[in-house]
Amino acid sequence: MAQRYDAVIIGGGHNGLISAAYLARAGMRTLVLERRHVLGGAAVTEEIVPGFRFSVASYVVSLLRPEVIRELRLPEHGLDILPLDGTFTPLPAGSGAHTGGGDYLWRVNDHGRTVRELRRWSTSDAEAYEEYGQLMVEMARFIKPILGIVPGDPTDRDPRPLLPIAALARSFGRLTERQQAVFVQLMTMSAADFLDQWFETDPLKATMSASGIIGTYQGIRSPGTAYVLLHHYMGEIDGAFRAWGIPKGGTGGVSYAIARSAQALGAEIRTEAPVARIRTHGDRATGVVLADGEEIDASVVLSSADAKVTFLDLLAPGTLDASFEEEVRRFKFRGSSGKVNLAVDRLPDFTCLPGVGEHLRGAISFSPSMDDMERAYDDAKYGHWSRKPYIDMIIPTLVDPQMAPPGKHVISCFVQYAPYKLDPALGTWDDNREAFGDAVMDRIAEFAPNIRDITIGRQVLTPLDIERTMGLTEGNIFQGELSLEQLFFNRPVPGYARFRTPIRDLWLSGSSTHPGGGLMGANGRLAALEVLKSRGRKVA
Amino acid sequence: MTETTVFDAIVVGAGHNGLVTAAYLARAGRTVLVLEQRERVGGAADTSEIMPGVRVPTVAHTVGRLRPSVVRELDLKRHGLELIAPEVRAFAPQPDGRAVTLWRDVAETQASLRPWSENDARAYAPFDARVRGLAKFLADLGDEVPPDVREPGFGDALMGLRLGRTFRGLGRDDGRTILRVLAMSVADFVAESFESDAIRAALAWRGVRHTAMGPWSAGTTKVLLDDSAASDGGASGETVYATGGPGALAEALVSAVRAAGGEIRTGVEVVAVTSMDGRATGVALATGEEIGARAVVSGLDPKRLLTTLVDPVAIGPSLRWRANNIRTPGRSAKVNLVVDGLPGFPAAASDPRLLRGRILVGMTGIDQVERVFDATKYGTFADELVVEATIPSLVDPSLIAPSADGAHVLSADVQWVPTTPRDGTWDDRREALGDAVVRTLETVAPGLGGRVRARQVITPADLERDFGLTGGHPLHAEPALDSFFAWRPLLGWARYRMPLEGLYLAGSGAHPGGGVTGAPGRNAAREVLADLKRRR
Repeated sequence: MAQRYDAVIIGGGHNGLISAAYLARAGMRTLVLERRHVLGGAAVTEEIVPGFRFSVASYVVSLLRPEVIRELRLPEHGLDILPLDGTFTPLPAGSGAHTGGGDYLWRVNDHGRTVRELRRWSTSDAEAYEEYGQLMVEMARFIKPILGIVPGDPTDRDPRPLLPIAALARSFGRLTERQQAVFVQLMTMSAADFLDQWFETDPLKATMSASGIIGTYQGIRSPGTAYVLLHHYMGEIDGAFRAWGIPKGGTGGVSYAIARSAQALGAEIRTEAPVARIRTHGDRATGVVLADGEEIDASVVLSSADAKVTFLDLLAPGTLDASFEEEVRRFKFRGSSGKVNLAVDRLPDFTCLPGVGEHLRGAISFSPSMDDMERAYDDAKYGHWSRKPYIDMIIPTLVDPQMAPPGKHVISCFVQYAPYKLDPALGTWDDNREAFGDAVMDRIAEFAPNIRDITIGRQVLTPLDIERTMGLTEGNIFQGELSLEQLFFNRPVPGYARFRTPIRDLWLSGSSTHPGGGLMGANGRLAALEVLKSRGRKVA
Repeated sequence: MTETTVFDAIVVGAGHNGLVTAAYLARAGRTVLVLEQRERVGGAADTSEIMPGVRVPTVAHTVGRLRPSVVRELDLKRHGLELIAPEVRAFAPQPDGRAVTLWRDVAETQASLRPWSENDARAYAPFDARVRGLAKFLADLGDEVPPDVREPGFGDALMGLRLGRTFRGLGRDDGRTILRVLAMSVADFVAESFESDAIRAALAWRGVRHTAMGPWSAGTTKVLLDDSAASDGGASGETVYATGGPGALAEALVSAVRAAGGEIRTGVEVVAVTSMDGRATGVALATGEEIGARAVVSGLDPKRLLTTLVDPVAIGPSLRWRANNIRTPGRSAKVNLVVDGLPGFPAAASDPRLLRGRILVGMTGIDQVERVFDATKYGTFADELVVEATIPSLVDPSLIAPSADGAHVLSADVQWVPTTPRDGTWDDRREALGDAVVRTLETVAPGLGGRVRARQVITPADLERDFGLTGGHPLHAEPALDSFFAWRPLLGWARYRMPLEGLYLAGSGAHPGGGVTGAPGRNAAREVLADLKRRR
């Protein structure tokens, strides 16, 4: 006899757990099924080297929606975010004003200090920085509501779903002309072209533009990368909760806080319960079948797995019509990122600023020049991992010492680019894993030569590993590329951007949906609210 | 004021769009004066003699995107315009002797694709139909004045536009498709239909020509579809020559302007748009002369207009900052060769008709094309480039005088070269570029180099200096997604009216963009006439 739930949720990543919490809160009997032994999906903490705990994949929190934090009372359930301060960009020897050991560019939260630092490079950039920051905050304030909108279908003859967009259009009308123009630029330009309008300092532009390419298979000069620059500022305007930092206990700490909240609201969570397929009857979903054959009935099935896994792997072939399947196949994943996690017994020592200092407590960005950033992309475009990759390094133990044995540290290196599809001449990712890891170490060693000496354990995560371990197709950390044509009403498939699918009672709630990826939680919340709305209507 | 006449309109710049506007204004009974800095009219639509008895299409080499409405309404055929449209549209010979050939006829194209891939041959007809359907939408969009984003709400304007109807006219599938594909890279767009890399490259080419983007750049699908808008291009693209070269189009337009009473002066440099109280009053010439007009229409690029000709105080610092940031990364060059006989292309040996269209060289695959683009990101150019060549003398013998009998003209539109070389200047690098182009052509036409009798190399620096194109950009402003429709050239200033009352933009920097289309010139004329009428 199959067990019966009101809602079963496939995947215990942050979005799946958030959906579960909202559905349980509304009184639905809810079950979350997670394939792995550990919750969190890509927001997961694991002890990779004995005694050393890592945020294996996702490593910082900047976008987690304040309404999710508030409505699910996450702080009461253990969520604690520790602030990170600043971005430190080491430069190679012989460059910049500090010759010899090389210079650096160091921006911190203290605005005055950052402006003084920038003045060392360019007085006009120091001036522009202020104006730019102000403008970006205004832009972020304008765009933020879009994260809470369920995107209507513009080809729909029923205009009602488009009303929220009309509201957005009205607020667009209230912007000044310059703000409007800058907004359009943000939505269309490359990060590099956008920043060129304000700044001349090459390492500054390189480091700022780096945030535009995270998780994408695009370069800083590729059109469509500018808008991600906004993300950084969206976190900043949340005020009430410190939104830019690392979660205590790693990103798994966020997932478990959500899980505890969901459980407190009555949701059940099962780990090591992989779903083999979604059961359908006629045109509706009726439950799931687990890998061990167990059947679970549910009135609603919510999948937080990505669009490809949900539609092509979990549904029996022939369930969906061919043209829809074609659209799903068209949805681009193209994972481009890797992760290198290091266990170290001492801290790295940077040639340009030797010793232990505040500069190690924020993000350390290996982005010395625009050309370096773009060349890293050029390698990837033709199927090679970047020979001199861009690295975003964080040393979480400096703010959360419990992640490693006393005196020791963990280092998280987010690396781009690592294209999922390698040039066949290179072989597979299994053949390239260590070479890629070595390239990352070499790149770090250019600026912090002691890196190999201090490393006592290393985990290299390629896109293939991300796919295998976390079930993310092609290792795309956003469950589908955040390219312009895959956003908003086109995400994941035109006409199906509202969390609904062609199968009745089957819903999507992961990052494959609007508003895309990142440890944000908007998708899981909006999807759950849409489910509740649809059921509320039915009841009424 | 040294001149007492006040014209209804002065058109600055006698490029094809400036002339189109002038012709429309003159035909509506307005007094019009066109001022051109060069000694010749036509701008980039020019024919010049580079060797005694041999005339070449100096910059542009085909005119097939010219709006049929412009040809018809200005009666250009009566003014001497003769068009030649060969049955072959594009021929992409490969170094191994094979070729991708795109014909006017879809079935013939399919036959040429079949040896590459049966699937691709089959996919071509629906792809062509799709391109035509989507391009039709862009053609309709191209005839519209972009909505006013300042007064009504953005969404309201969009909804209210006839555009809404046109959009719905696309039907649900094409409607969804256009919203999805406009922002897409052309590499992805062609890959949705075709598997053969050479076919993908040949079809994608028009999405990147004259741009600073490679086929993997987002938004290049829009450029491709725009290229097919309002022409019979479809997926193969137009290939239409003007008899006598593109300069003949300029001559026909001049004839249309003069026949309607318009006046054209060449060799006249305009140094400023004069204004008073936020209103354009006329122009000032380098000679110190000032000429008054009720409307001043610029055929120049918007960056040049707003940053060099208009009083900075009148437009204010914010707009000036924006104008300064109009992107004009010219990455195109032109090389014209005179050869002592028809060059031998082994891939065309079976059928001499193949050389009558656009000859696409270096288009062996999407990534190979992208790599050529890559070099310019670092201020250099690749050893072998990507070239769209034509041999106009093959279809238009009038280009060769009897004294040069037997010679042929090979016109090479070249991508990608840096706007400014990182090491050195274009004066140092010009001949190296010419050599690279010849080397590129020799990959499919061996021995060509030995037959060159004259060579003209036009770099981005030359396009800027000799044709007044800022950054040497042949399209006046980069046709990327950040310069499109209601935000070309600048959001708030896309309705042909510039920030001074009575000042208009009619060139390629305005909607719907660059290329020899006459579309911005025609739309601008409509707006100028409406305003002139309103104010009287």
